[in-house]
Amino acid sequence: MAEVLFFLVAAGALAGAIGTVSVPNPFYSVLALVCHLLCLALLFLLLRAEFVAAAQVVVYAGAVMVLYMFVVAYVGGSEMPVGPQGSRSMRLGSIVFAAVLFVELAIAILGTGLKALGTEGAGIGADGVARAGDSPYGTPEQIGELLLTKFLLPFEIASFLLLIAAVGAVTLARRRGGLHDGEEQRITPLDFVRPRSTGTMAEAVGTRPNATTRERAGLTSGAASGGTTETEDR
Amino acid sequence: MSTLPSVLGVVDYYEPWWIQIVKSVVLFALGLQIVPIVLLGERKLLGRFQGRPGPNRVGPFGLLQPLADIGKLAFKADFRPRTSIGWLFAIAPIISILTAAAAFSLIPFGDTVDIFGTQVGLYGVDVSIGPLYLFAFGAVAFYGIMLGGWASGSKYSFLGAMRAAAQLISYEVSQGLALVGVVMTAGTLSLTEIVQAQEGMWYIVPQFVGFLIFLVAGFAETNRAPFDLVEADAELVGGYNTEYGGARFASYFFAEYLNILVVAGITTTVFLGGWMLPFGINPPTWVDPLVVLAKMMGFVFFFIWIRATPPRLRYDQLMSFGWKILLPLATLNALVTAIVVVLVDNGTI
Repeated sequence: MAEVLFFLVAAGALAGAIGTVSVPNPFYSVLALVCHLLCLALLFLLLRAEFVAAAQVVVYAGAVMVLYMFVVAYVGGSEMPVGPQGSRSMRLGSIVFAAVLFVELAIAILGTGLKALGTEGAGIGADGVARAGDSPYGTPEQIGELLLTKFLLPFEIASFLLLIAAVGAVTLARRRGGLHDGEEQRITPLDFVRPRSTGTMAEAVGTRPNATTRERAGLTSGAASGGTTETEDR
Repeated sequence: MSTLPSVLGVVDYYEPWWIQIVKSVVLFALGLQIVPIVLLGERKLLGRFQGRPGPNRVGPFGLLQPLADIGKLAFKADFRPRTSIGWLFAIAPIISILTAAAAFSLIPFGDTVDIFGTQVGLYGVDVSIGPLYLFAFGAVAFYGIMLGGWASGSKYSFLGAMRAAAQLISYEVSQGLALVGVVMTAGTLSLTEIVQAQEGMWYIVPQFVGFLIFLVAGFAETNRAPFDLVEADAELVGGYNTEYGGARFASYFFAEYLNILVVAGITTTVFLGGWMLPFGINPPTWVDPLVVLAKMMGFVFFFIWIRATPPRLRYDQLMSFGWKILLPLATLNALVTAIVVVLVDNGTI
């Protein structure tokens, strides 16, 4: 049964990967990538790496691809099909790049990845040989232990990279005027506990204008439709 | 079937294949039976909350109302707009219902019991990565809503689907972080083991903040009021399912209520001690599923109560609440729990 599943899922993964690069409509391209990622997760499951499989679905299919889909559905429709374009040198460069990537992956796979073939999942023992009774490699405990001992530095560096990316995104959004003062509504826990008919101290002294004072100041555009315009801008 | 345990990972005992099939059928039938009851309960209760009787024409006290609803939906023509994309329009509700049913199979209704000499766990599947499995199916469930809204070829549906995307991303993070505290306290990811770890004290006490965050994020994940911007009927007609009718609409509806049951069930399992009763009461084993169901129904009642009470949030309020209050709170909760767990393990406290 595992063999049948493997071939079904592998075919699905390949079809998804080919579809991603060959479908003209960007939305279907993203869908094909989602299909590919889900098939990869199933392959991990067949290798008994449940944690990696779940992380694959949650992180890639669940978070990253959702954002892709968000952007593609908003800005790129079927009116702008993606296809081969660009100059001759670009196309040549892309072929060279793809060839280099292929060679690199082949080295990696032929060098180390094939060791686990023919075993029942990548069990990891003291001598690196998989045995039937071994606890499988993909359990959360073992991954957590490896991340916090052997691979601590790469793990921390990767998280810093993500943090830098997040800070950069926020900085760029602020600089481009994505967030204006006043449009940004702040909710504090106090908003839920104070009596309904009362305002806040900040509103009373005018540092945080409420709807009526803003109307008087001629800032009506942002007040009523702040939420909707903000979303349309993105 | 000999390869099945290797697919399912570390399973403590081996269940014959027919038990697994029987369990799937029973679980699906259970979900299929509870949903109409919840549906009727919701309409009745909403009526009472709003000072009107609610449905009371079909059958005694309106008890047959769900049957009439389902009959009506089942016999309606499957209409679809000319601008829609046929195959996506058709499979989107199926994705929704599949993932909801898959997540439902995760709820443990009891421990392993002996039925006619066979060890049977009173749950669909006890995976070694319980909460992650839940979030994985939640991630796939999003595509059911998104594809349905996009493939409808209607602006209302599209806007509803987009809101669903933003909302799901925003609240999934907090929901996951809220569970991290529980997982650290219990020291396991298996849901049955989490329940067993709550012997003596339910996690609602030490993890009260996590419980609140999980519940609020659960409201957002299931698109329930006051977070129901996805299907805000005043602005979007019906949100992502505007263009759906007949049996397909019924599938979406079923998936939505099944998701409510899933959130109620997971909250019960993780924070309210699953099948355990307080004060050391130890009933016979056959009571366990009823205890879980009763706790779940308590949460469902709470969901309905909340729907009748606060108004809908505005979109920017929804976003800033999710990112600026819920997420920092959930992170803080996880951090404090981690420190406390380490201190307790070292014997400092």
